[in-house]
Formats: sequence, structure tokens, C-alpha cells
Amino acid sequence: MPFKKSISLALSLVVLLSVLAGCSTGNKNAKESAAPEASSPSASSGSSPSASQPAKDVKLTFFNTSAEVNTVFEELFKTYRELHPNVTIELIPTPIGGAQLEKFQSLIASGNPATIANLDPGTILQYKDKFLDLESEKAKYEQLAKPGAVDGALLDGKFLGIPWTAQGYGLLYNKRVVEEAIGGSFDPASIQTRSDLAAVLEKVEAAGKAPVMIHGADWSLGAHYLGLTYSLQTGNVEENRKFVEDLKNGSVSLTDNPQFMGLIDTFDLLKKYNARKKDPLVADYNKDSADFAKGEAAFYFMGDWTWAVVGPLEGRDQEFGIVPVPISDNPSDFGNTHVAYSEPKLFAIDNSGSTPEQQEAAKAFIEWMVTSQEGQDAIVTQMGLALPYKDVKAQGSNVISDAVAGFVDQGHVINIGVINYFPQDYWAKTGASMQKYLVEKLDRAGLAKEVEDYWKSMAGK
Amino acid sequence: MNKKTGLRNAGTFLFFGGPSLFAFAAVVIVPFIVGLYLTFTDWDVRTTDHSFTGFSNYAETFRDKAFLTQLWFTIKYVFFTVLLSNAAAFFIALALSRGIRGEKWLRTGFFTPNLIGGIVLGYLWQTLFSQVLPFMGEKYGWSWFETSWLTDTDTAFWALVIATAWQLAGYLMIIYIAGFSSVPADVLEAARIDGAGGRAILRKITLPLSIPAIVICVFLSVSRSFLTYDINLALTKGGPFNSTELASYHIVQKAFLSNEYGIGQAEAVVLFAVVAIIALTQSFMLKRLEVES
Repeated sequence: MPFKKSISLALSLVVLLSVLAGCSTGNKNAKESAAPEASSPSASSGSSPSASQPAKDVKLTFFNTSAEVNTVFEELFKTYRELHPNVTIELIPTPIGGAQLEKFQSLIASGNPATIANLDPGTILQYKDKFLDLESEKAKYEQLAKPGAVDGALLDGKFLGIPWTAQGYGLLYNKRVVEEAIGGSFDPASIQTRSDLAAVLEKVEAAGKAPVMIHGADWSLGAHYLGLTYSLQTGNVEENRKFVEDLKNGSVSLTDNPQFMGLIDTFDLLKKYNARKKDPLVADYNKDSADFAKGEAAFYFMGDWTWAVVGPLEGRDQEFGIVPVPISDNPSDFGNTHVAYSEPKLFAIDNSGSTPEQQEAAKAFIEWMVTSQEGQDAIVTQMGLALPYKDVKAQGSNVISDAVAGFVDQGHVINIGVINYFPQDYWAKTGASMQKYLVEKLDRAGLAKEVEDYWKSMAGK
Repeated sequence: MNKKTGLRNAGTFLFFGGPSLFAFAAVVIVPFIVGLYLTFTDWDVRTTDHSFTGFSNYAETFRDKAFLTQLWFTIKYVFFTVLLSNAAAFFIALALSRGIRGEKWLRTGFFTPNLIGGIVLGYLWQTLFSQVLPFMGEKYGWSWFETSWLTDTDTAFWALVIATAWQLAGYLMIIYIAGFSSVPADVLEAARIDGAGGRAILRKITLPLSIPAIVICVFLSVSRSFLTYDINLALTKGGPFNSTELASYHIVQKAFLSNEYGIGQAEAVVLFAVVAIIALTQSFMLKRLEVES
């Protein structure tokens, strides 16, 4: 009999023990799986007595959270190796919207950090002791970058990450669809109040088109839409931080806050005209972006990064722009003529397990990336991102980021730097509350309470 | 003399069993013990430093309402997954052990989902549930499928159960087929001569003699579905609004997104205890049904 008791017992035991292993994935398994690719820097540091020789081979690892452009980076590393044969750079890719931070943490915890990390400023701030202070480079980058770009990248006053991309978000519009609906040319500056927006949305609907696309993902609703609440309080990041502290200790209430109430009023308006009204939480990012670009919706709450999807699309419309998300009927209120703008990713250099040669090579590589023709081509032309530097030789095709630049040049931007100081899970947690509000499982008071409760649970952390 | 044989035996054992014992210790036993130790500390990857905190992580675990809801959710999920996957596997195995044409191909076909990683599988089902079915639903007026199953709390639960059961069924099917083929032919023949019909043979002969296979299948499906993570991540990502977070998913979120490593790890230990108790109890109880032919 093949299924004797003893055999099945042994089998049970093996499976049970593998259950144990599954439970303890917490840090150990991750460490094991991260070890092979990360062992390379320590291998090269093992042979480092000849530190003064610049011709020595250096191997760098590059941790990338801009997963949508993994291949562009890989090409760039190849080009750099042709120019500098002694520097090898290896990409540590992460999946789009996948377990990026988990991977980063396992690299740090196993003592095999990546030499260069392309991270959100908030993550760099959380791990600030692990990164190299770039104070000595600051003056140089202040010369190279656009005014304010380096200041915007400072974290608690320290220069830990080098800015290389700038992004803006708001209500994107498809020019053809909007103009067909209103029967004339559309001036984005004509949207300064909620009523202005409501009038246009109504016309679009009357013309038989879907007025606005709300992408139902937690990151879009939690970080980008609801996140505006904190950044709209004042134009000053420090004061906005104080507002969040007040939320944590319970001394302010969201339902008494005009910015929050105004944002949610506008959200109700967008919800009413939502192209995805029937099933708002499907949140297929590629499909939402493509449908907007092909004219199935006139407006889209999203940012210029969506060009990565829109740009290469066949049969799309040609002209797009951006308007602010108005939060009241008073055109002079902060935010009604402003779009959210930030440096969402910074290049940081590891200072916890890398050798000085690796750090120097990393500095040289980053500078090359933002100043050389090849690097700028990769960032501006191929990735379609805005490079916040003065002398940009490459020509981009991203018309949405050009539209954002229009607001930036006038100084009409909302500095969303306050989110850098938030706990890492804020977007997932408050995003879930926004999703409930979107499908009407929560009313406004319920939404305010859930968000307030989240912040209160963060008190003292 | 005696000592020498003992040494030689130990040497032989180490030669054959040593490598796998080492691997087992390195990836299972040691991580488990270190993990257990970490639940009593406030370890944090940012400081890579820790101090002893006693049982406070466990106290937090039982105060974490979300975890307890999710644990209950997971138990419901396991119940239906085990039921569905075993029922499906049992009947597929039955159909595919009668020597019909193309049987081997069909077996391979049903087994294939097991060779696809959970992430890929999750994305496949996601496309099916949120694009293909709503499209067909709209076209043919099937009100059930008009909106995506993944955006509603209840249907997302069933979507998870169906996708997991679909993957598991092929694997369990193989075990059932092995179980059926171990039913002695003489007993079956005797039953037939005694005039038992197909249904009576199934109920009175095949089923009781396949209890060992059922025990193993239920055990495997219970322990595997308790630890489902990849399908959960790819199919629903815990959504809509965190309502379909299975226990493993919640633990990973807790540890790596909220940076509460100690609590996450303590929750993992609690999950382990729950799985161990349920899995062992059920296999102990089912084993009492075993009979000898």
C-alpha cells in the first residue's frame, strides 16, 4: 500500500515544516534570495587594496524603483561602460507597483545595499543614515540645476539625493475632445473655480462624451488626490508638516478644514461625471491612460508620467494639457490656479556597505547621467520625463510635461514636499478610505473620520 | 567494535542525509528560530538594531483588529478553497482514471496550472475577471459579469477562491489518481460480481479505500491555501479597500509597508499556530476513517 500511515505522517510533517518556513519569510528568506545579485559589490570591495588606482575595475549596483524605464537604464549603463570600460553597472530591477520597498529593505538588512538607489524622497529620509551626505556636491548641483530644484530635494535640510526628474499632476485634458464639446478653442486658464470646471464637464457630457476619468487605484486617490489636502494648507512645507502633526494629536478636524471640504466637493463633482462610474475600482492603469489618450474621456486625474503609456500609443490624439484641481469658487484661493509639482525620485548613494571608490564612481556616473547628451537623451527623449536642469540639450516629446512647465515657469505650483515626511503606508491606508468613498461605502463624515483615525494612530511615530 | 559501527552508521547517514539536512536547516529551521526570536524584540531595518521587548508584539497582534478580521476572512477562504479544490480534483481524477482516450493529455492539461507561477496566474485571472468577463457580460447581457468581480467585496472573495482552487485542483488530482489506482483490482472485481453498480462501488469501495489520499489532499490544500500570498497580490492586491487581504498578505504589508517588523513577525507566528492546529486536527480526525482492504 503506497499510502501507509507512516508515509502520510512523514509527508504531513514535511509540509508542516515548510509552513514554518513560509511564516518566517519576514526577513530571513528575503535575505537569502537577495544575496546572489547583491554579493557583487562585496566581491569587488574584497579586492580593494589598490584604492588609489583609478583604472581599477569598479562594479556598481543600481536599485531602480522607476520600474517602467528599467530597459532605458540598462541601455544607459551599456553606453557608460563603452565610455568608461572600468565601470560596470548592474541593474537591480523592481516590478511596477510591486514589492519595491520589500526588496530594498532586504538588500539593506542583508548588508548588501545597492551602490546607487533611485528612490522616493520619503524612503531616503527614512533610511537617511544609510546614505552618503552629498553636501560637498551641493554647490555644483545648484549651478547645474534649475532654480529651486536642489532646495526642493533637501530632506530635513540635508542633500542626500540628486534630483533627476520633475513631475506635475492635476486634471489632464484631451484638447480635441474638450474643444469639440465646447465648440471653440479651450483656454486652460479659463478653469479657475469649481463652477468653471462644472460648466465644462456638463458641456462634455451633453456632447455625448465621458467627461472625466478617475483612476480608482489607492495610490492615485490616496497619495495624489487626498494628498493635496496636506499640501494645500499653505505654500510652506514646514507649516504643512505642522498641520499633519495637529492631525496626529487630534487638535484639528478635517470636516472643519476648508481645503479638505473643498477637495471633496470637487471630488463629488468628478465622481458625478466619472467615465468609470459603472465600476470605479477596476483601475487598469494602461487602459485608463490609453482610453483618455484616444479621446474616450475629456479629462483625466493623473500626471505627466502617464506619457510613458500615452506617447508610444497608436491612433491617439495629439494635443493634451493640464488644468488645476479647483477647490472652491474663489479664483484667488491657493490651488485653484496651481498644479501639484514635485521631484518624485532622487538618486542616492549608499554609505553603509559601499567602498569609497564605488561612491566616487557613483557620483561621476550620476553627474554624467544628468549632464551628458546620452544621459539627457535617455531621460528626456526616451523616458519622456522633465529634467530639472538648466542646460538640457535633448528634445522631449512629452506635451503634458511641457504644459506643466508652463505652470512652473509662472511659479503656479503646489509644493507637495510634505508627503516626504509621511509614514510609508499612508497612501495605501487613506487610499482605501478614498476607494470606499468613491463607491459610496462611506459618506463624507465617515471618510474624514477614517483619515483622522489613521493619523491619530500614527501619533508619536 | 560497537562504537565503530555506530560511527560508520553516523558517517553513512551524514553522507546521504547531510546535504539535505543542511539545506533544510539553513532555509527552514534557522530562519524559523531567528524569526521567533525577533518577535520578542523591536528590530527595525532602518536602525538594524534591537532591544528586548517581551511579549508586547503579541499583545499588539491581538489588539490589531484588522489582523483578526483578516484571519477570520482567511479561515473562510481556506474552507471554501479546500472544499472546491478537493471536490473538483476528486471528480476529475475519477473521470480520468477509467482509461478514456487522451487521458494522459487531459491529466497533463489539468496539472499545468501548477506549473504557472502564482503571480502570472493572478494576472491571467485578473484580465479575465476585470476585462474579458465584463465585456462578454455586456455583450450577452449576463448581469452577473457586467462589473468586474474584483471590485466588490463579496465577489472578489469568490474570485480568489476560484483562482486558487483552479490551481490546486490539478495537483490534488494527481494524488487522487494515485489513490484510486491503489484500490486493489480484486476487491473491485468481487464487488462487481456481487452485483454492485458504479455508484455503489464508488461509495462503498473506492471512497473508503481512498481515505489516505483524501487525508493528504485536504492537509495539503489547507496548509497551502492558508499561506496564499502570490495570487492574492496579483489578483486583488488586497482590494477593494483592503477587504480581501489574506493573513499572509496582511503580515507582509504590516512588516514591510508599515515598518512594524516585530508585530508582523508575531502575527506570522500566530498564523503558524492556527495553521498547525487546524491542519493536524483535521488530519487526525480524517485518519480515523481509514480502513484496510
